[in-house]
Amino acid sequence: MKKNGIVLRFLQRPSAVIGLTILALQVIAVIFAPWIVPYSPIEANPLVSLEAPSVAHWLGTDVSGMDIFSRIVYATRINLLISITAVIVAFVIGVPLGLLIGYYRGLLSATVMRLFDFIQSFPVFVLGMALVSVMGQEIWNVAIVLAVLFIPMFARLIRAEVLSLRERPFISAARCSGATDLSIMFRHILPNAMTPAIVQISISIGMAILLTAGLSFVGAGVRMPTPEWGLMVSIGAQQMILGVWWVALFPGLAIVLAVLCFALLGDAAREVADPTARRR
Amino acid sequence: MSKTMSANQETPLLVVQNLSVQFDGADRPALDNVSFGLRRNEVLGIVGETGSGKSVLARALMNLLSENGRITAGDVLLDNQSILGMDDAELRRLRGGRLALIGTNAKALLDPVETVGSQIVRVLRAHRGGSKRTAWREAVDMLGKVGIVNPERRARAYPHELSGGMAQRVVIAMAMITSPQVVLADDATLGLDATIQVQVLDLLVNRCRELGLGAIVITHDLGIVAHFCDKVAIMREGRIVEIGPVGKFLSGPTQVYSSELLDAAKVRPTPIVSKTPEQTTGVKSATLLDVANLVKHFPIPGTNEVVRAVDDVSFSLARGETLALVGESGSGKTTIGQCLVRLLTTTSGRVTFDGDDLIGMSEREFRQHRRRIQMVFQEPYVALNPRWPVASLIGEPLALLSATESVDKAKRVRELLDAVQLPARLVDAYPHELTAGEQKRVGIARALATRPDFVVFDEPTTALDIRVRAQIIDLVRELQTEMGLSALFITHDLNSVRSLAHFVSVMRHGKILEYGPTETIFASPQEEYTKTLLKAELPIEQSQAQRERGEKRLTGAMR
Repeated sequence: MKKNGIVLRFLQRPSAVIGLTILALQVIAVIFAPWIVPYSPIEANPLVSLEAPSVAHWLGTDVSGMDIFSRIVYATRINLLISITAVIVAFVIGVPLGLLIGYYRGLLSATVMRLFDFIQSFPVFVLGMALVSVMGQEIWNVAIVLAVLFIPMFARLIRAEVLSLRERPFISAARCSGATDLSIMFRHILPNAMTPAIVQISISIGMAILLTAGLSFVGAGVRMPTPEWGLMVSIGAQQMILGVWWVALFPGLAIVLAVLCFALLGDAAREVADPTARRR
Repeated sequence: MSKTMSANQETPLLVVQNLSVQFDGADRPALDNVSFGLRRNEVLGIVGETGSGKSVLARALMNLLSENGRITAGDVLLDNQSILGMDDAELRRLRGGRLALIGTNAKALLDPVETVGSQIVRVLRAHRGGSKRTAWREAVDMLGKVGIVNPERRARAYPHELSGGMAQRVVIAMAMITSPQVVLADDATLGLDATIQVQVLDLLVNRCRELGLGAIVITHDLGIVAHFCDKVAIMREGRIVEIGPVGKFLSGPTQVYSSELLDAAKVRPTPIVSKTPEQTTGVKSATLLDVANLVKHFPIPGTNEVVRAVDDVSFSLARGETLALVGESGSGKTTIGQCLVRLLTTTSGRVTFDGDDLIGMSEREFRQHRRRIQMVFQEPYVALNPRWPVASLIGEPLALLSATESVDKAKRVRELLDAVQLPARLVDAYPHELTAGEQKRVGIARALATRPDFVVFDEPTTALDIRVRAQIIDLVRELQTEMGLSALFITHDLNSVRSLAHFVSVMRHGKILEYGPTETIFASPQEEYTKTLLKAELPIEQSQAQRERGEKRLTGAMR
């Protein structure tokens, strides 16, 4: 009953509807890629190099003659896979970690916070390039890099909530009722602290898509011929100056749409979760 | 002078005619055909429970309803001028100028980043103009008149530097500075200590009488009405049920609802002491709880100093007995309660419970005792996990029972709901779906779940509506007699102490000043502070002091 109300409120927001529509398109691309695309996304065909958009190649071809439309559709798999995996890993590690360092405030908690400061103050791309060059340019390594970057974000969000929740009278009341530390943490505090972190998931996926593309663009992400949006933009950028606009533009648009989608969903989730924001 | 005065006496200052207010989406009007008049020099008390529409009335009088509310019928006339027909400029002059509102929780009403003096100056200049310098002088002058010591210095203070009572005086000064014709006080003393409340109300009412203003005091405390108002209006569901002179109302209300309210506000007789061995044998053999030289210090951050919250407190309690710890905020009474249930560590002292030393125990050892020592928390809503349904909330302490005593959880929860007189259908409800009284009952059921021997009640009657408060008092009295519970009441509500406790300890600054049987303390207090506390109590029963005050008021009005 209560849950239905939330879903309904969520669906009433225009940003949620637009976001869900784009998400649906992406899901279709992920599942039905082999049936949608007219060409193989990784086979080069030098005969049709750098062709402008046409009936044969809807969005044109790149320098090695690969069909851009096919590559964009296939790249959805890689990009969403990396981003969503990274955010889920970060969530699963970051949330309990934030709960712990918020609940037990001591040397360990302070140390972890300083570690977070260190991670978050490091330039993202330098860190990404360093980690990927050490571990190798695999898509899983990109996901790990992103997860490491996002763990502090989730942990801090949860910690901030825990810090205020642990002083609330219902925690004292639970203690009087014999609740153990573990029960207070996971049964009393966590359910009340989750909302901002859940809202953050969607926004983080958008950021992860952007960062994945960024890492590939600077050469720290996946390698050719893997279809990946950032990598495609990177290759296309070299020809931009020659008036060949389609190679970089279309994957760029795909990135914009994907990031927009998760940002809109995140906004809608925030508005539904936080009644004070709704009235604004 | 006397002629104009008598002429004024005849034409009401403020007339409310058939006022009705409807909020969008509400199934019944928030105000329904409300009519009354207010003369100069008159204090009208408006009493009602939560949701009776009394605050809506205050806002409607200023034409200051929130966007989704509309005045659907009726009129408000101030000095024969309708406020509903006023344009924006006139309304601005009206609000805070001719009609001043004093709200609840003064500290939240004041701007935290501006000195209180300049906030008063801003109000004054918005209504009367004039130079900053003269306005400042007037503001300081007014702060002096509302009883603020050293007003020159206090005017330069920021709200957080003031106590609650002082902030409330500043808000009163802010309301008075424009010499309004009518003052509306909407629960203006809620949350203040009793002695401060009396001072603030005395001041407010006296200023109104001196200046010949009309005042409307909105409250849910009939004691305030009995002591400070000339006329009383009882509100329920947006209607005025009964309106008339206070004296007549107190001696015999004409409506069923108002007599219910009046009965609820009256003191119950002191609970019958269940036969304890102490009384029959005269030996204190059945001592359940013994607290000796309890000390709790809180360090002040950044210094080596400490706050002595509890300073060498000793008391003991026999089985089946109830002790009340009475004192104003900051007296350390809540700290004692939290030390007893080990929510706080104790600095020094000894607490013996049924022969076992509680202080020296490890957390694991104390767990065995938790089921015997329970606490009912002050604010019912914040003390319940908002994401848990009632059944889980009440059932949680059952985990404290050892395997041998384990019970059918669902059955016990039903029993407990029954014991606190809540319907069984509430088992799946969440705290926000309950009323304040129901939340309080859930809090009590939770504390009783493990059949404890001793329960700490922290402010069991604060912030409850009149009838709910009476129901909770009756419930606790019943539970006490049925279960033979020993209890510690922590409260500043003296009225409820009379109905609930056998013994009273008066606390101040972390020490117990006076201790004795409830009736003795109330009848013949020894300490000066206890006398002050008792004087600040506002019982409904007409006291000698109040009748004197009333006579003084009458002669004052005639002068």
